[in-house]
Amino acid sequence: MAETVVRVENLKKHYPPNVKAVDDISFDIGRGTIFSMLGPNGAGKTTTVEILEGLRNPTSGSAHVLDTDIFKDYSKIRKRVGTLPQDFEPFDLLKPWEAIGYWANLYDIKLSKKEINDLLESVNLTERKNLMSKKLSGGEKRKLGIALSLVNNPELLFLDEPTTGLDPKARRDLWNLIGVIRDKGTTIFLTTHYLDEAEKLSDNVAIMHRGRIIARGAPDDLIEKHGRCTTIVLEGTGKAGLAKLKQMGVEAKLDEMDDRNVLVDVKKHSEMKSTMAKLTNSDVPMDDIYTMRETLEDVFLNLIGSKMEEGVLKE
Amino acid sequence: MSRLTSDVIHYGKQYLRSKIGLFFAVLFPILLILVFGAIFTGGGDSKINLNVQNLDGGPMADVLIDNLNKSETFNLIEVPTNESITEYIKNNSLTVAMVIPENFTADINARLMNSSITGYVNVTIYGDPSKTTYSIALGATGAITNGMNFGLANATPIVGAEGKTISENSKFNYMDFYLPGIIGMTVMTNALFAMSSNCAEYRQRNYFKLLATTNIKKWEWLVSKFIFYTALLSLSLVLTYLVGVAVFDMKSVLTPMAFVLIAAGAFTFTALGMLLGVFIKDPESAVAVANAVGFPMMFLSGSFFPLEMMPSYLQSVANVLPLTYLNNGLRDTMVYLNDGSALVNLAVVFACGMIFFVLASKLMSWKEK
Repeated sequence: MAETVVRVENLKKHYPPNVKAVDDISFDIGRGTIFSMLGPNGAGKTTTVEILEGLRNPTSGSAHVLDTDIFKDYSKIRKRVGTLPQDFEPFDLLKPWEAIGYWANLYDIKLSKKEINDLLESVNLTERKNLMSKKLSGGEKRKLGIALSLVNNPELLFLDEPTTGLDPKARRDLWNLIGVIRDKGTTIFLTTHYLDEAEKLSDNVAIMHRGRIIARGAPDDLIEKHGRCTTIVLEGTGKAGLAKLKQMGVEAKLDEMDDRNVLVDVKKHSEMKSTMAKLTNSDVPMDDIYTMRETLEDVFLNLIGSKMEEGVLKE
Repeated sequence: MSRLTSDVIHYGKQYLRSKIGLFFAVLFPILLILVFGAIFTGGGDSKINLNVQNLDGGPMADVLIDNLNKSETFNLIEVPTNESITEYIKNNSLTVAMVIPENFTADINARLMNSSITGYVNVTIYGDPSKTTYSIALGATGAITNGMNFGLANATPIVGAEGKTISENSKFNYMDFYLPGIIGMTVMTNALFAMSSNCAEYRQRNYFKLLATTNIKKWEWLVSKFIFYTALLSLSLVLTYLVGVAVFDMKSVLTPMAFVLIAAGAFTFTALGMLLGVFIKDPESAVAVANAVGFPMMFLSGSFFPLEMMPSYLQSVANVLPLTYLNNGLRDTMVYLNDGSALVNLAVVFACGMIFFVLASKLMSWKEK
């Protein structure tokens, strides 16, 4: 077990008269990992992050960040933590290299020209460093935000919905950047309402809904625990093949979308290899065979009962 | 570089790169001094057009008209005698007109011949009391008819009044008295408007939250703005002053106390802007709130008009406005060279600033509840 960087126990944030923004949540984050808090808008993600950033006071509970009780003395760890707030917009009329130097000064750090250039290089903004920040694209602005959050070389980085509102390419660029930062040993606390983002980036995920964590674990574990199954698709097997499969004692069904295909659900990962072997060694007709794995999106649908688009729950 | 120095430099860079900020801080006061200077000292035809209907036509009416012409106060325009004066005024949108009545000469002569006949032989001044031209015409005509009375009575006036500027240096002109008001207004508008909208923008863009995650303190952030605005507005003061001296030959003096007052004003109005920013949620509202606070203060504090011109209840309002004391202090030191009186005004400005600063520091939170 990696060293614990964040430990939260029974954290609550209530607003009168009866709004439970954060309702008795507990979790911990290991050093050098990416922890994603996943949930729709209003789930309590940002409130949680802002409590951990020292920007809000909780109603009750405890939180230790980098071995410090943050409700007693956050100032001790301020220089060891980096922050990218939700909907970050850089200072319009500062150039990226100026903004980085300025932000470092606010942490009482003097960065050399080379250090500023290295930071710009790490977020792929070298060629844009002399442009006014207002002229950067949405993705570049977020990259600059991440660069600012790294000026103090933090051990723990909070990224509050870093890719919200960005186009797919910009999102993928940021995912790569976040991966690189993690690979350098920085622990990352990420909030997102993008299920694919959480699944791709995270070592651990907490699904949050109405102030509570309703599921927590590694993405694969969550999919296995809360997903229905992984599905094997037998292409071109058709009704005749389906009958043969049933004779073999294999539970299978026709694909509702395309009745030339037959679907076989595998409930547990451990059964995948043997089921696959059984099917490929049989004389059931098929043009192709492949698996269709459930995702966090399916898990979310199973747990919440709704799909989520851009942070909004859909019936 | 320290947090404070870095914040001053980088805030300043942003402010100066915003063309609007630079315009209002530096160019606007220069434009104001040029425009007002052109209006009040431009040497244009400052005579009042006085429409005169002479229903008498006698020699006494001619003497009066001659005296009116000699006064150099009026351009006389003749109104036909067959016109109704009230209709004529309406049809020509006049603000002032004079009627010399029929028998003007005969009535005067009658009084000269027979001292038992009493009562004035009046000319009538028609006009709009809300217009200054009316009151000027009334006053000037009164003085001219009074002069006529002395002539008719063969008397020599003994008691008189001599106009002099109230400064020790008689070379001061109107713009010297006006400049401190422009400077005071510039200090107030730049610091107040910029700070209130900065606070709203910082909140909307989550910059306060970001700042709260760094080592900079609230007071450092406010002091940095105070330092920047003091430097910027001092520069503005010097430039406006130099333009005034070069173009209008102003003789007021740029004293050290004027710079101290600029600093106190910058402190007071940045703190007031921050205090307003506590209650403002977005930059659009900030503009509205700053206007609601700033504009009445601008007009009520003697920036453009002497306080004595205002009704007493408005003068009472002016007495609680910090800009009044800033304007008065600047006039005290720059025009009257009275640093003792300026010091009293400085103390009031600074005291207001301290109250705003303490309130803003207490009430403003960079964190969420």
